Amino acid sequence: MAQDPARSEGASRRAFLAASAATGCAVFAGPGVLLADGRFVIPNSAGFLVVDTKKCQGCGTCMMACSLAHTGRASYTLSRIQVLQDSFARWPDDLALAQCRQCQNAPCVEVCPTGANHADAKFGHVRRIDQSLCIGCKSCVAACPFTPDRVQWDHGGRKAQKCDLCAETPYLDAPGGPDGVQACVRVCPVGAIAFVREMPDQTREDSYQANLRDWVWKRLGMTMEK
Amino acid sequence: MALYGYAGKILRLDLTAQRATEIDTAKYRSWGGGHGLGSALFWEFCKDKTIKDGRNPANVIVVASSPLNGTLVPSAGRSEVVGVGLGMYPYSWYTRSGFGGRFGTMLRQAGFDAIVIEGRASSPVWVDVRNRKVVFHDASALWGTDTQTAQERIWAQMGVPRGTDTGWWDLNASAAEALDPATDQGRTTQKPAILTIGQAGENQTGGGGLVHDAGNIAAVAGFGGVWGSKNLKAISVIGTGEIPVADAKALLRARQVTKEKYVSDLQQPDFAAWTKIGKQPKLMAMVPPPTDEFRPQACQGCISGCRARYSVGYGSETKCQVTSWYFAPSRRVAKSSQELIEINLRAADAAQRYGINTYFAITGLHWLEHLVEEGVLGPGKAIPSNLPWDKYGTLEFAEKLIHALSCREDIGADLADGWVQAAHKWGRAEDLRTGHMAFSYWGQPDHGYDPRAEVEWGYGSILGDRDICEHCFNIIFTNITSSFAFAQPMRIQAKDLVGIIAEKLSPYAKNRPEVLDYGDENMYSENVAQLVRWHRHYTRFYKQSALYCDLRWPDFYNTNTPDNRGATASDDAGEHVWWNAVTGDTLSFDDGIEIGRRIWNLDNAIWTLQGRHRDIVHFAPYIYETHFEKGELFPFYMWPCRDEQGQWVYRDIMGRTMDRRKFEEFKTSFYRLEGWDTASGWPTRATLEGLGLREVADTLEAAGRLGKERA
Repeated sequence: MAQDPARSEGASRRAFLAASAATGCAVFAGPGVLLADGRFVIPNSAGFLVVDTKKCQGCGTCMMACSLAHTGRASYTLSRIQVLQDSFARWPDDLALAQCRQCQNAPCVEVCPTGANHADAKFGHVRRIDQSLCIGCKSCVAACPFTPDRVQWDHGGRKAQKCDLCAETPYLDAPGGPDGVQACVRVCPVGAIAFVREMPDQTREDSYQANLRDWVWKRLGMTMEK
Repeated sequence: MALYGYAGKILRLDLTAQRATEIDTAKYRSWGGGHGLGSALFWEFCKDKTIKDGRNPANVIVVASSPLNGTLVPSAGRSEVVGVGLGMYPYSWYTRSGFGGRFGTMLRQAGFDAIVIEGRASSPVWVDVRNRKVVFHDASALWGTDTQTAQERIWAQMGVPRGTDTGWWDLNASAAEALDPATDQGRTTQKPAILTIGQAGENQTGGGGLVHDAGNIAAVAGFGGVWGSKNLKAISVIGTGEIPVADAKALLRARQVTKEKYVSDLQQPDFAAWTKIGKQPKLMAMVPPPTDEFRPQACQGCISGCRARYSVGYGSETKCQVTSWYFAPSRRVAKSSQELIEINLRAADAAQRYGINTYFAITGLHWLEHLVEEGVLGPGKAIPSNLPWDKYGTLEFAEKLIHALSCREDIGADLADGWVQAAHKWGRAEDLRTGHMAFSYWGQPDHGYDPRAEVEWGYGSILGDRDICEHCFNIIFTNITSSFAFAQPMRIQAKDLVGIIAEKLSPYAKNRPEVLDYGDENMYSENVAQLVRWHRHYTRFYKQSALYCDLRWPDFYNTNTPDNRGATASDDAGEHVWWNAVTGDTLSFDDGIEIGRRIWNLDNAIWTLQGRHRDIVHFAPYIYETHFEKGELFPFYMWPCRDEQGQWVYRDIMGRTMDRRKFEEFKTSFYRLEGWDTASGWPTRATLEGLGLREVADTLEAAGRLGKERA
C-alpha cells in the first residue's frame, strides 16, 4: 500500500523541544507541553466519536455529510470519517469505520512544524488543522499510527485536514464542535456513530468501538451482542 | 457557469477501436440524468434505431448516474442503464434497467456522469476508469468467470487490497501509464466499483444482467447479454473527485427535516408505519434472515437500507424477489425453516454469480412444472431435458437450472433467446391463452401484480417497454392487503388514503381521487388514463432520471407525520426540493413531471422507429380470455374502490378479466391525452415540437412514422 513519504520537519521541532526539556524543565510548545520525560502532552479533547461497526449500514451518508458540511462539495476523499467495505466479506469483517480518535497524545499535533495542527482551546481542545497555517508537509499524515490514517490529504488544495468534530462547518446550520452538532452523528440513519465526553481507553485500539444497538435493533432481527 | 451536481463529462467507449473519448455533459443538462440523459445520448449516438435485438452491433448502451448520487439526498443512489434489450417478444424494445450500490457515486467521483458504450470489441475486454483516465484491458482470462470472481480478480489486478483493515489507496502509485503524473491524483479508502457480467451475459442470453458488488443487478432487459455480444466483461470506476452542489446548507437541512419528520423515530419506532421513506432499516427479503448476525446494507445515501450482509457468508446484499425466486419449489423439500432459508439464499447467490435475471421464476417455474406434470418435458420427452427434475426443490436443482439457463444448455438453449419464443418453438403457444404461461406483456412474466387487478402496473407495462417494476402505487396493495390478511388495523381509511395521494398527483389528477378507483366500472376510464400518464411521467424523471429509489419513493402517505402526508411533492423534503438544492435549478414538482413527459415522448419516438404500432400493444391472450383467480402473494387483491353508493371502501378486485374491446378504448383515450396519433400510437409533430423535439419529429417523418395530427 503506497503511503505518502514522511517529512522530517516535525522531528527537528521535537528535537529542539527535547533539548530544551533536557534542562529539566517542562517546555511549553504552543498549546502543548513537552515534559522532561519526553512525553508530549496537550489538553484532552472535550469530546470523541465512537462507532458501532456492527451497526453501520454502509450508506456513506456520514462521508457525504462531512464533506458537504465542511466544504460544500460531495467527496469521499475529503471526508474526515471513512467507511471501508468489502462486499464479499462476512459480517462483521465486511465493514470498518475510521474516525479520528482525538488522541490524548496526538502524534499528528506533535509533529506539525507550524502549529497548524493544534488542540484548539476555542473548540474544547479538538485536534484541528488551521488551513491558513498548513504548509502541506504531510508530517501529520505520516504520523497517524492508525490504518487508514485519520488525516486526509486534500490533493486539490495541497493541505492536510482532519476531523474537528464539526468546529468549522460553514454549511451546517447549527453550531458544531464538542459543544455542538457533529454532522455525521446527526445524519446517520441508524445511529451507528455517537459523540461522547469520556475519553476512551488510549491503550486499546478497540476502545472507540461501542455497542449502540438496543431493543429496536433486536426487534428488527439483528443481534444486540457486543 | 458551474454545473452544480454534475461531474461535467460523459465517457464514450468505442469498443471496436478500443478508444475512449469525452463529451461535455452541459449539452444534455435539460434531460436531467439517468434515463433522460441516456435516452438523449442513445438518440444521438445510435445510428440505427430500427433494431429490435440488442445484440445488433449498432446498439448503444448507456450507464448513467444522477446529479443526486452521492450528495446525501435520501435514497437516490441508484444507476440507470438504457439501450435496446434482449429476449423480449415480439420485439426487444429500447428499454431500461436499474441497479443500486455505489457505482453511480463512484463514477461521478471518477469524473463522469455517464458512460456511452458503442461498437463491439474483437475479443473480451474490461475497462479501467480512474480519475477520467481510461485503459482497455484484455479480459480473456476473466471470460467464463462468475461475477464475484471477476470483480475479485479485477481488484487483484489493480492491486486493490482486500478486506477492511486497509489504508488509503494512493492513485498516484497506480496505473502510472493511465494517470497524469503532473497532477496529484489523491487518495481513497474505497474499492473500485465494478459492473460486470457473468456467464448469463457472456452467453448472450435474454436473462443476462449486469452485476455490481455482491447483490446489485440490472436484471431485466438482457443488458448483460448485450454486453456479452459486445465482448465487454466489466467496467471498473474509481476516483478521488468531488461534486459541487448548489446549496449544501439546504441539502443538510432537508436531510435533517426528513429524518425528524418523515422517518420513524429510532428510539421509539412505529414498526408498522405506512410509509416508504420512513421505514426502519428492515431487511427486504422474502425469507427470514439465516442468523441475527448481520447488518442492514444500503446503497450510497440511502436513509433505510433494505439488504443485509451476514456472518454466514451467503445471501449478502441480495433482497426482494431474488431471495425467493425458488421459494415455492424449495418448500416441497425443506425439512426445516433453516434449510428453507439456506436453499433460497444460496439459490439467490447462484443467480447473482451467474448474473441472471430471476424474474422468469415468478411465473416461469409454474409453467415448467406444468410441462413436467403434463409429461411433455423431461428426459426423453417431447421437450427433452436432462435436468434432475426428481430433485426439484433442492439447491442442487436450482444451481443446475441457473447454469443451464445461463450457459444455453438443456432447456436453456431455447429459453435463452426468450421464454415466449421458446414456448412457440415448443408448440406451447396455447399456454399463453390458458394462463399456464403467465407472461403478460412483451414476453415478460407477470410480476405478481396481475394487470387485471393492478391496472396502472399492467397498463404502464404494455404502453411502455417492459414490466415496469415501479411500486409507486403498489404500496397501496401491500399495505391494505397485508393488513387485511394479518388482521392488522387499517392505518388510513380508503377515502382519506385516496384523498392524500390525489393531492400529490399534480398536474393531471390533482385532487381527483377517482383516478385511483380500480373498480370494474372505472378500470378503463379516462380517470385511470390520467393516472397512468402521471405515473409514466413521474417515473421517467424522478425515479429513472433523478434516480430516486423505487423502494423509498414516492412517499405519498406517511403515518409518521401528524397529518399522514408523505414527503413526495412537499415543500420541505419533496423530490424537487432535493433536485434544486443539488443543481441550483428552481423546478416545481410539476416541472419535474413535464421533464418526464419529454423523456417519455422521446422513448416513444424510439419505439415507433423500432416498429411500435397500437395493433401490437396487447397483453398476452390469457389476460383477456381467463379470469385472475390466483394471486402470487395472497388469495385476494385489495384496492380502494367506490361502492354502489359512491363511498370509498377497500375491496377485493380478484376474479375479473380484461375486456379486449374496452382496453382498445382505453388505449385510444391514453393516446389522445398524450397527444399521440390514436390510430397508431405514434407521437405527432405538434406534441414533439411542443417539447422542443423538432428534430425527432423530422426523423419520424422521414421514416414515414410520424403520427397524424388530430383533426
